[in-house]
Amino acid sequence: MALQIPVRIGPAEQSLIDQLNSVGATAEATRFAVIGLPTRKVESYHYTDLKQLLRTVPPLASVATSASPPALRIAGAHQLMIANGAVQESSTAPAGVIVGKTAGSALGPRDDLLVRLNSALATETLSLVLESSVDPVIQIDRRTEGPAGHAADSARIFVADGASATIVETYSGSNEPHLTNHASFVQLGKGATLTHITVDLSSKSTTHFATSEYLLAEGARLRTLTIHAGAGLARSQVFARFAGERAHADFTGLNLVGDGQHGDITIDISHAVPNTTSKEIFKAIARGRSKAVFQGRIVVARDAQKTDAKMMMQGLMLSDEAEILSKPELEIYADDVVCGHGSTCGALDEDHMFYLMSRGVPKAEAETMLVRGFLAELTDPIVDAALKEALEAVLDGWLGG
Amino acid sequence: MTTPMLEIRDLHVRVEEREILKGVNLVLPAGEVHAIMGRNGSGKSTLSYVLAGRDGYEITSGEVLMDGQNILDLDPNERATAGLFLAFQYPIEIPGVSTMTFLKAAINAQLKARGEAVLSTPDFMRAVKDAGASLQINSDMLKRALNVGFSGGEKKRAEILQMALLKPKLCVLDETDSGLDIDALRIVSDGVNALRSPTRSMLVITHYQRLLNYIVPDVVHVFSDGRIVKSGGKELALELEAEGYAGFSEAAA
Ligand SMILES: Nc1ncnc2c1ncn2[C@@H]1O[C@H](COP(=O)(O)OP(=O)(O)OP(=O)(O)O)[C@@H](O)[C@H]1O
Ligand SMILES: [Mg+2]
Repeated sequence: MALQIPVRIGPAEQSLIDQLNSVGATAEATRFAVIGLPTRKVESYHYTDLKQLLRTVPPLASVATSASPPALRIAGAHQLMIANGAVQESSTAPAGVIVGKTAGSALGPRDDLLVRLNSALATETLSLVLESSVDPVIQIDRRTEGPAGHAADSARIFVADGASATIVETYSGSNEPHLTNHASFVQLGKGATLTHITVDLSSKSTTHFATSEYLLAEGARLRTLTIHAGAGLARSQVFARFAGERAHADFTGLNLVGDGQHGDITIDISHAVPNTTSKEIFKAIARGRSKAVFQGRIVVARDAQKTDAKMMMQGLMLSDEAEILSKPELEIYADDVVCGHGSTCGALDEDHMFYLMSRGVPKAEAETMLVRGFLAELTDPIVDAALKEALEAVLDGWLGG
Repeated sequence: MTTPMLEIRDLHVRVEEREILKGVNLVLPAGEVHAIMGRNGSGKSTLSYVLAGRDGYEITSGEVLMDGQNILDLDPNERATAGLFLAFQYPIEIPGVSTMTFLKAAINAQLKARGEAVLSTPDFMRAVKDAGASLQINSDMLKRALNVGFSGGEKKRAEILQMALLKPKLCVLDETDSGLDIDALRIVSDGVNALRSPTRSMLVITHYQRLLNYIVPDVVHVFSDGRIVKSGGKELALELEAEGYAGFSEAAA
C-alpha cells in the first residue's frame, strides 16, 4: 500500500474536519484530514473538483424555527417534511403508508465523500414503508431554513412486494449559502412499482448534494427523474443495483444550469443478476457561463446474462459559454447482453426554428416550444396529471427565468 | 393597375459563395395561380426559402414585394403574419412538439400579431376538425409529434392543413405533389383549389404537368439556372412535358 501523503487542508476542509469531530466521527475526521476533498484526480469527481468548487462550509445547521413557502405544490399530494436534518411530525398518513423515524443515515457504506459525510452527519432518517398501492403522490419536502447551515438528512423508502407509489422529493429553503447533503435509500420489493422524482429547487447560493441508492428485487419496476433547477453547485448521485431478475428501471434526469452554475448528475448502475433491463435518458440544458456534467456508469456483472441497458445523454446549449460534459462508461463482464450508449450535444436545430417561425411563431416562443419538446420525453411518462403539471411549471419557470 | 400580390425584381442570391438565383423577375397578381417548372437544382426551392426568410442566403441584389411591402427585411414569422405561407418540399420533423400544440401556437401567434382575438380551444378544435376532414387527416395524426413518423403523403397533407388554417394570402407550394399517390393528389388539389380566391395568390412549384390538370394555373414559368426563362399559359406545361427542358435553357443564353 502506498503511503498517503496528507494534502494541504483548506478552510472548507478544516470546517468539515471540525464538524466531523464535533459529532464524534473522529475516525472519519482523521481519514478526511489525510485525503481532503476530492479533486479532478479522483475519477468520479473529475469534472466536479470539490476542492476548487467548495470554498467554505457553513456551520452545522441548528433546528429550523421558520419555514419558507413550499417550493413545489402538487395538488392532492401527501406532504412529509424534513427541516434542517430533522424529521417533522406529520399528519395521518394515507392508507398503505407507514411513516416512522430511525436513528442515523439510511445509506449503506460506500467509498464516496458525500456518502461518508451523510453517514457521519445525518442524525435521523425518515422511514416510509409502502405496504400496498398508494394513491396520492407522496411529497418529501426537504428544507434548509434559517441562516446558512450545513445540513445532512436522510430518508428510507421501502415499497413492499407488489405495491406501487409515486414519491417526489423537493429540496428548498432560505436564500442563504447552505450546504446540504441529502440521502435516500429506496428499496423495491418483488413486483413493486415506484416513480421516484427528486427536484432541487434550492436557492442559487446553496450547494446541493444528493445521493439516491436503489435496490430492485425480482420483477420490480422503477422510474426515476432527477431534476436540478436550483442550487449554484449541485451534484446528484444515483447508485442502483438490480438484485432480482426481470426487474426494469428507467433512470432519467434533467440538469438545468444557468450563468455561474455547475450541475453534476452521476449515475452508477449495477446489473448484478441475469435478465434485467434499464434505460437511462439524461438531458442537460446550459445557458450563460455554466457547466453541466453527466457521468453514467453501467456495470454488467459476469452472471448478468441477457442484460439490456441503453443509455442516452442529450445536451442543449443555449449559449456559447456553456459547457456540457458527458462521460458514459460501460463495464460489461457478461457476454450475452445488449448494451449501448449515445450522446448528442448542440444548440437548437435551425431548421426546426425556421419551420416554426415560418408559421408565424415568434422566435422566443419557438425556442420555448422546442425546449419543451426536448424535455417532453422526460415528463410524458409521468402519469399523475397534477404532478406532471407542477413539474412542467418548474421547467417553464426555469426557461422563463 | 392594382398592386400585385408578389413582385420579385431582379433577385440575385448566393449560397456559400455560389450564385444560385441569377436575376429572378416575377409578377404574380392577386387571385392568380402561377406554376414554376424547372429541372432539378435550378433554384426553385432556393427561391421558396428566400421568400419565406430562411437564414443562410445572401441576397446580393433585388427586391421582393408582397402586396407592395418589401419583405426581405422581415423575420420569417413576420412574413407569415403578413400573409406568406410556404408548403415545404420536405416538411421538417419536430420531435416532442405535438401537431395540435403547434397548430394552436401558430394560429394564435398570427392572430395576436395582427391584433385579433385568439381562438378559444373549442373554436380551434372545430376549425382543425373541419379542415382535417376534407383532407382526410385523422385525429390520431394530430396527436403525434409534428411530422414525426408521418408518411410522405401525410406530411404533404399536413402542410395543406396548416395552409387552410392559417389562411395566407400568398401560398408558395414547393413540390406539394411529389410523393402523393393518385387519390392523395386529388385530395390535396381539392384542398388547394378550395382555397383559391380573388384575394389569394399561389405559386406552385412542380415537376409534373399532371398536378396542373387539377390546379389549373393562370401562368406557367419555366425556371432554368436561377431565373425564369420563359412564361406562358398552361399549355406551356404540356410543351415542357413533351420536349423536356433542353430547349428552354438555350433560350436563356
Ligand atoms: N445550403 C446550400 N448549400 C450549398 N448549396 C446549396 C444549398 N442550398 C441549395 N444549394 C444548391 O443550389 C442549387 C439549387 O437548389 P434548389 O434546392 O433550389 O433546387 P430545386 O430547383 O428546388 O431542385 P429540385 O427540383 O431537385 O427540388 C443546387 O445546386 C443546390 O445544390
Ligand atoms: Mg426543390
